[in-house]
Amino acid sequence: MGRRGYGGYAASALVAGAVLWSLVTSDMDPSRLLSAGPRIADFLGRMLPPDPSVMKEIIQGSAETLRIAILGTLGAVILSLPLAILASETMVPAAVHRPVRMVLALIRAIPLILVAMLMVGAVGLGPLPGIIAIAFHATGMLAKFYAEAVDGVSRAPIAALESAGAGPLLRLRHAIWPQVAPVIARDTIFRFELNLRESLILGIVGAGGIGFYIQTYVRSFQYDKAASVTIAVIVMVIAIETLNVALRRRFS
Amino acid sequence: MIPAVQIDDLAFSHPGDTTPTIDGLSLTIPTGESVAILGPSGAGKTTLLTLLDGRLRRWQGRVSILGLALDPDAPPPLSRRADSGFIFQEFALVERSTVLRNVLNGRLGRMGVLRALLGRPSAHDLSVARAAMTDCGIADLANRRVDSLSGGQRQRVAIARCLAQEPRLILADEPISNLDPARATEILTLLTHAARKRGATTIFTSHQPDLARRFADRIVGLRNGRIVVAAATADLTEDATAALYELNDAARAPQLQVIS
Repeated sequence: MGRRGYGGYAASALVAGAVLWSLVTSDMDPSRLLSAGPRIADFLGRMLPPDPSVMKEIIQGSAETLRIAILGTLGAVILSLPLAILASETMVPAAVHRPVRMVLALIRAIPLILVAMLMVGAVGLGPLPGIIAIAFHATGMLAKFYAEAVDGVSRAPIAALESAGAGPLLRLRHAIWPQVAPVIARDTIFRFELNLRESLILGIVGAGGIGFYIQTYVRSFQYDKAASVTIAVIVMVIAIETLNVALRRRFS
Repeated sequence: MIPAVQIDDLAFSHPGDTTPTIDGLSLTIPTGESVAILGPSGAGKTTLLTLLDGRLRRWQGRVSILGLALDPDAPPPLSRRADSGFIFQEFALVERSTVLRNVLNGRLGRMGVLRALLGRPSAHDLSVARAAMTDCGIADLANRRVDSLSGGQRQRVAIARCLAQEPRLILADEPISNLDPARATEILTLLTHAARKRGATTIFTSHQPDLARRFADRIVGLRNGRIVVAAATADLTEDATAALYELNDAARAPQLQVIS
């Protein structure tokens, strides 16, 4: 057995204390856990059979979610391209890329649902706040990925074009772009899939999409209709994932 | 006549190095000549070529390329960049692009900015690029992607890109380093022929004294950043050229022992 200092005992005591504190203060009555089983069974029972009469709502909601994901991704791409240059370690000095990377990390740290709630407050209900929220949130990741793609390019062709008399813009266009474009395409497709998954819940805070119907039906105890919408969501996610796997293979 | 290259008392140290890479070097290269720079690895050959290409800063001395002084503190203006063409040892090609695209990249400094940005070369640009590819024997590879080519083919693409630039000075960094003697002769033949046809001055570095003698009008021996020999090839006996290399190798031997 290894020797343990006081630091080790202190750390163990701290962890034990944290767990105990959480257990005692979280109102975890065992009887509530025991009665949960039948309740879940009842809940699932009321979901079956799914009510197919909401097809119109499903199609409308799915189309809106798809629109939010498409336009949100487009917005993120437009924001990310210039930001990626500013976040690149090889294109700009540290005085520029360090603060830009910090801002991107900050954006990634803000949960999408929070951004969406703020945007609903700012521009009102509907798909617009969802699109803005997705664009903002996805930029935090996409600009970082793009910057990494830019930093991963081989330097030699850039020097060669500089030697041939090509200015910075032309070097970007003819030495860097052909190297990063396939990586950018792959990252964008990946982010689109994430955007679609994440935009499914935006309706819960009133930011548009199919999530609105799930929330409405659950709140009004129409579980059979909620089940139909949930099945549609699952089908949509699987379809997009399959499509993306096929697309991404083309850019590897 | 203005010399292609005029170097006076040039000195350069890589940042952080205690010993200078180039140490008090003076050299004149007449226009139209083919010059071989010989010397062991670490002698400063690549550094000298890169400096002549205007891609190094913070050096001392005076350097004139084609009659115009290089600024040790600023890159040469883009309009002058195209006048000196560089053939990189590792080729420095855009791997995912086609041979034609890579060769046309050599024209970027000669095109209008809008054409260059849009990637729409003029008929003249295309004909210069195709002539360069023909001279390098790769006309039939125009639409192949570079990452599907062999090392020898890439070498020819790198030379064609440099020729498409229509340089008046060609700087070739070890153009035959990884080639067998037959291929090396082929490459040096096409390079010196193409340069002569275009009236360009050629400076190439090499580790092969016999081939240097065959293809260069003038031989410069470099060691520890200094010139140990600089003479017209005709004035230099074969033994003297070989001795230059043996001497260099002997001088390196103690360093090799330290490393092992």
